[in-house]
Amino acid sequence: MSFHVKYYGMLAEIAGMSDEVWNADASLTVGKFRSQILERYPAMRDKKFKIAVNQKIAEDFVPIETPAEIALLPPFAGG
Amino acid sequence: MENTHKAKKVFVQGPISPDFVARSIASHQSKTGIGAHAIFLGQIRADQKDGGAVTGIEYTAYEEMAEQTFHEIREAAFSKFELSCMHIYHSLGLVPTGEISLFVFVSSPHRRAAFEALEYLVEEIKANVPIFGKEIMGEGGHVWKENS
Repeated sequence: MSFHVKYYGMLAEIAGMSDEVWNADASLTVGKFRSQILERYPAMRDKKFKIAVNQKIAEDFVPIETPAEIALLPPFAGG
Repeated sequence: MENTHKAKKVFVQGPISPDFVARSIASHQSKTGIGAHAIFLGQIRADQKDGGAVTGIEYTAYEEMAEQTFHEIREAAFSKFELSCMHIYHSLGLVPTGEISLFVFVSSPHRRAAFEALEYLVEEIKANVPIFGKEIMGEGGHVWKENS
């Protein structure tokens, strides 16, 4: 399956892009996806970030089912 | 107030001008059930960093999620506090030091609800809305801001 991944803030700097299409096996959880991300972008290992699935912050056990919009969110800085 | 409120546009490009704040206050003069306004203005600080003094913050956001989160925060505030009116504006793009990036404006028949709602809103916005800030230093460097 494939889905859309968006990067924000310092994570977009590390990825060198603001979004990309991600290809993965059919059964994927947020936690497994996080491991894949860290494998592709090792510089994200020492960064704090949350993962949103379809605009909701998701815990590691949550399954990713297509169609999905995934976003990697570094610490918030509004205000 | 009714239970659901129309989603309002929160984001504005660049700084929020004092003139805009003044006009927002003036536009409530006809709402004579209001007895108290409370206003929070977030201003960009010239913090000293390793790369020099901060000259401005460049804001970006996961806009679709942010608008939805702002909507949920507004609904929660309307249900928790006795409010007549509520307006939230946040900047995107570059806001120079000394200028305003957040404007929260609540109105109520009485002061207590206005004070409490204002603090609630500002804390919720800082903790839960996916907005990102790049602090720009004079020398050309930058650091990513993180709310505490």
